Amino acid sequence: MLHAQTLLTIVLMLAATYSTRGLGYVALRNRRLSPRARALLHAAPGCVLISVIAPFFVTSSPAGLLALGATVAASIRLPMLPTVLIGVAAAAVLRAVLP
Amino acid sequence: MAALPFALSFVPAALVLGDEAARKGFSPVEVPLLTGLNFAGGSEFAAIGLWTSPPHILLIVAVTFLVNSRHILMGATFARYLGRLPRRAVPLVLFLMCDEAWALGLTDAERRAEAGRGPLLSLPYYLGGALFLYVSWVVSTTAGALVGPVLGDVRAVGLDMAFPALFIVLLRGLWRGPRAAAPWVASLIAAGTTYLLVPGGWYVPVGAACGLLAAGVTAERA
Repeated sequence: MLHAQTLLTIVLMLAATYSTRGLGYVALRNRRLSPRARALLHAAPGCVLISVIAPFFVTSSPAGLLALGATVAASIRLPMLPTVLIGVAAAAVLRAVLP
Repeated sequence: MAALPFALSFVPAALVLGDEAARKGFSPVEVPLLTGLNFAGGSEFAAIGLWTSPPHILLIVAVTFLVNSRHILMGATFARYLGRLPRRAVPLVLFLMCDEAWALGLTDAERRAEAGRGPLLSLPYYLGGALFLYVSWVVSTTAGALVGPVLGDVRAVGLDMAFPALFIVLLRGLWRGPRAAAPWVASLIAAGTTYLLVPGGWYVPVGAACGLLAAGVTAERA
């Protein structure tokens, strides 16, 4: 039920995540960041998030691309839950309709 | 109970995450360990996406740090509201600081500051909401691992699209105009190209690095 490698990875992930949660509080609490460092910190989350889902954008399946387009359009106006539902429904319908 | 809509919104994602983890060989004991100890959904999705057997530990931990690097800025903005809390409460407050708990705590603390009650995080309010989010997350990811096989083929019913959809919603929340999003385009192109050309999960660090490079260049011009 428990694998040593999985456990090790989880514990190291805990350390990585907790360090990000503590670092801002401990290190930046009484300090002013340079504008460049601020700009980088602001940009980092978006860059990572979009990199993680990049494989979905380079698919050759038209159904997948259209469903992504529908999800992006939905996300502009709708909150999280309806957007996710629209994305899922669009993918299911488009895959059934398109080759 | 301001945390309720947040918790509801991530139940489907949690089910998908639990199911995908189970498909990658996670046992119903390992899933709550992952989601309960790490408690940062984006990085857990990324880790499961990159998971191989045996796992590429260094890559997964590095990506975890990168995905969660936004917490550094969140913690920095949170710091001035934590100053008057009992010292021993701070580690717990920070452990539970996911995007949703942070947003709840920050808006509440700012409301209190405006009402003249000083910049202070309400510990009962924050911990109540954050613990509710925590339990919902761990329970529903575990449920996903247990009932996932019953759901059948995730791709056929389109459930795999929940993953990019959640990330798109998170990106929408980070949207500060096309200029600020220019690095995202650099990341998307770099990561997409790397994904097509290089096997494994290297597209994430490559994409992030190219985006940060672009951000550094734009910041210099500004």
